[in-house]
Amino acid sequence: MAKIIRTAHTEPFVEKPDDDMIICRCEEITKGEIRRAVYDGMSTMNEVKRYLRSGMGLCQGQTCQRLVQNIIAAEMKMKPTEVGMIQGRSPVRPVEIGIFSNNKTDVKEE
Amino acid sequence: MKRHELIVIGAGPAGLSAAIEAKKSGMDVIVFDENSRPGGQLFKQIHKFFGSKEHHAKERGFKIGESLLAEAEELGVKVELNATVMGIYENKEVTVKMNGEVDHFKADKIIIATGAAENMIPFKGWNIPGVIGAGAAQAMMNLQGVKPGSKILMVGSGNVGLVVSFQLLQAGCEVAAVIDAAPRVGGYGVHAAKVARTGVPFYLSHTVIEAKGTDHVSGAVIAEVDSHFQPIPGTEKELDVDTICIAVGLSPMSQLASNAKCDMALIPQKGGNVALLSEYGETNIKGIYCAGDVAGIEEASSAMIQGRSVASHVCYSLGYITEEEFNTKYDSYQEALGKLRMGMFAPANKGRNDFTVTDEGYPISKNLLAKGYMTEEELENFPAYNYKKAGVHPIIECTQNIPCNPCQDACPKKCIKVGENITMLPQIDEEQGCIGCGLCVASCSGQAIFLMDETSDPDGVLISFPYEFLPLPEVGDKGTALSRSGAPVCEAVITDVKKTKVMDKTAVVTMRVPHEFKNSARFYKPV
Amino acid sequence: MIEKRTADVIIIGGGIMGCSTAYRLAKLGLDVIVLEKKEIGNGGSCRNAGGVRQSARDPKELQLAMYAVANIWPTLSEELGVNVEYHQKGNIRLGLTEKDVKILENHTAKSTKVGLDVKMISGDEAREICPYMSDEIIAASWCPTDGHANPLKTTLGFYKRALDLGVTFISGVEVLGIKKIKGEARIVETDDGDYEGGQILLCAGYDSRRIANTVGIDAPVERQVNEVLVTEAMPHMFDIMLGVAGGEFYGHQSEHGSFVLGGNSGLQAFTSNTDHFMTNSLTAPCISRGIMKYFPCLKNVKVVRTWAGYYDQCIDVLPIIDNIKEVPGLTVAFGFSGHGFGISPAVSIALSELMTTGKSTTIDISQLGYDRFKSKG
Repeated sequence: MAKIIRTAHTEPFVEKPDDDMIICRCEEITKGEIRRAVYDGMSTMNEVKRYLRSGMGLCQGQTCQRLVQNIIAAEMKMKPTEVGMIQGRSPVRPVEIGIFSNNKTDVKEE
Repeated sequence: MKRHELIVIGAGPAGLSAAIEAKKSGMDVIVFDENSRPGGQLFKQIHKFFGSKEHHAKERGFKIGESLLAEAEELGVKVELNATVMGIYENKEVTVKMNGEVDHFKADKIIIATGAAENMIPFKGWNIPGVIGAGAAQAMMNLQGVKPGSKILMVGSGNVGLVVSFQLLQAGCEVAAVIDAAPRVGGYGVHAAKVARTGVPFYLSHTVIEAKGTDHVSGAVIAEVDSHFQPIPGTEKELDVDTICIAVGLSPMSQLASNAKCDMALIPQKGGNVALLSEYGETNIKGIYCAGDVAGIEEASSAMIQGRSVASHVCYSLGYITEEEFNTKYDSYQEALGKLRMGMFAPANKGRNDFTVTDEGYPISKNLLAKGYMTEEELENFPAYNYKKAGVHPIIECTQNIPCNPCQDACPKKCIKVGENITMLPQIDEEQGCIGCGLCVASCSGQAIFLMDETSDPDGVLISFPYEFLPLPEVGDKGTALSRSGAPVCEAVITDVKKTKVMDKTAVVTMRVPHEFKNSARFYKPV
Repeated sequence: MIEKRTADVIIIGGGIMGCSTAYRLAKLGLDVIVLEKKEIGNGGSCRNAGGVRQSARDPKELQLAMYAVANIWPTLSEELGVNVEYHQKGNIRLGLTEKDVKILENHTAKSTKVGLDVKMISGDEAREICPYMSDEIIAASWCPTDGHANPLKTTLGFYKRALDLGVTFISGVEVLGIKKIKGEARIVETDDGDYEGGQILLCAGYDSRRIANTVGIDAPVERQVNEVLVTEAMPHMFDIMLGVAGGEFYGHQSEHGSFVLGGNSGLQAFTSNTDHFMTNSLTAPCISRGIMKYFPCLKNVKVVRTWAGYYDQCIDVLPIIDNIKEVPGLTVAFGFSGHGFGISPAVSIALSELMTTGKSTTIDISQLGYDRFKSKG
């Protein structure tokens, strides 16, 4: 990650007409919430994700990642390539706990 | 622990091609795919592909899928279906959900060929049912046999948007408009032209700003955008549609590479977040490779070659082929890829909009980019359009440098020439006589070749054009001839309908129109 | 604008200890810079299961937990202006076997001795508290004042409030070492040049040891990978914090509805340890098997992701929170051994007192000194 200096904003948060538009459909996060999170100091994809849950849903951000990157970049006046990306996590497709527990590889005999 | 020399993740064009290449060398390879059938997106592609003859051009996508599968089967490539790779761990271990449990496999090499997913654009109401990806619409029509809606707005004029628009028309849907926020049609002009001539309007520099409706889309509001892609107030227009198809590009499905902790980067030219790759397609984690759309969005034709190219490096590094054999293979694959990657639509030119002339120096049609069809005046600049002679002869309305050359092989008289560089425009060899067989018309994946005969019929001009709609017209039918923009121009009488096996379901229909409409009548609408 | 490089206090590490202490020091009127190598809360602060627990803690750090639960957690959301999703509905620790019961009884006895409200309950009583549990559970320990919170929101909430109070955070800067000036720790050397503070707080998780080494201070802290799995959102089932005597898993259902359940494979101390939070293929299945033993009703709930984090595991499983006497100006807080989150709001009080008055008076941390490690006799 590039160096980012973070200080509190001196000017107030300005709402925009399309702030109520849903961006992350899995977690129902709006554009306004993302803009507000950036205003609150969240400066990277991961920080916004941790603060709001954007990209934490079933699709792991496959649908919204680019959109969120663009919004953060616009608010931070950075390039979308500079705000980071969501870490792909296993399981990349949702898997039931029961099926996970069926894994018998290298289980110790009781 | 179960172990294979090579694990391929994804049985689409790239993955299957990679597995075939590896298996041919004698390697122990297994392919996992989460779907219930292999082939990736190929099986929903019912249109004829572009490219060169050696690489499946003019074959329909699903046919290419079938032949890839047959090749894999013949070689005994093991393809596990309904097998979802969940993660890639250290020491090239993968976990796979299959048969109700989680299985572990290790490999010496892994090729990630997971493809891509559709992009979305947000607008008011974009989460209402009825807003769907164009690829999803295509799957509904061509795999499940379900119409996605009856009146459709297509958002995006790239090749996916154009191809799917045409297929929606074929399925009997009405396409209310194709719109794009960019000021120019993004996909091949020939794809746009075949949609435009059915009467579908194109609105460039337009975006969708709202999906109307509560439980289902009941309309769409579009508006013109300024040079910063911001809607211009007062330009809103409401379209009566029940479905909004989004075709605004694809993003690599690269989560597994990221999960494996490969070095990643957002590279807009590659369509999104991708693993950083060596020239051989290897990530920074030795032995983990990416091939196909997951490595960067391209066409299926490139994905197949890329799959083979990457696999050849795997074969070499596991000692199945010599360095010399590898170099020969690698060079030939790169040469083939190079051919596909030439021309104005090459990946390297993604985002460029400053082309004003073709490689041959002909001025590019502005109307084609703005409205989806060319004007007669613009076509006059192209020799293959202007070629005039007595009796039947082709006229070719192919005016952009796209990688495609089936027309050159289609003509039994060798009347059409593209040459070594497959992005060059087809030229007509005046020495050779056209016999009016129509094979060039049917072979052109862009449906941009017509036959004209001004002299054989005393009652008018005979114009033959490609036709892929059912029911087919019959000889003697009377209807309306349509212009390139789909506007009615005159009455037309069907004089011939050719339908042979080699034409592969593209009928060549001939209509007779009065002489004065010879340069404007290009399509036909039954009464 | 001139880039800010000096402050009253330089804090190394933008995790929950750094963010919360920055907040408290700024409230006291100090000028603070926080240096973070990656992103805010990237380490254990955002990689834990959110336990706010007093039970089963070593009496030496129990005061921190009890103080935080009594005085800070209940009103923290209002204090920070961010919903930290704190729920104080008790911690239940479950047992399936007689051996488990012995472990639980042992913990319970220790905790009651220092005045914590913990008791043993029967399997049926446990099922009355949480009806979703397996019939196989024969006993449990129960601490009604324990709870859980959202570690991501808490860490970033402290960060946001610290920003509001004028703290400067600089991320993407890696600390290379600490330099002394005339006998006192003053300079923080980074890959982005030097930063200078009147005092330095080192709270960089397992990286702290490497940085402390640059001024000749060492502590027996190693990192150890642990993992958490997160499920899809489910309808609300319970608010209690869960643990099991056998240690197969721990966690809770979040406000969002997802279950956040942590655990390990038993091999974690010796799994190959890459530098980038790599999960192990065996761990999530292991946690899942644990869950199935106690909560078979969660069988069809889908896991949507797993992630790994590092404990900065101290040899006695207790944190080091102290002013370093040999290096005046340097205060440290690390080695939280996987249970720092719940006590963090109290740790930051202790740290702010240590750094401003030289002594933690509100909470006794005298047994968490850096010089407590002795060789065997």
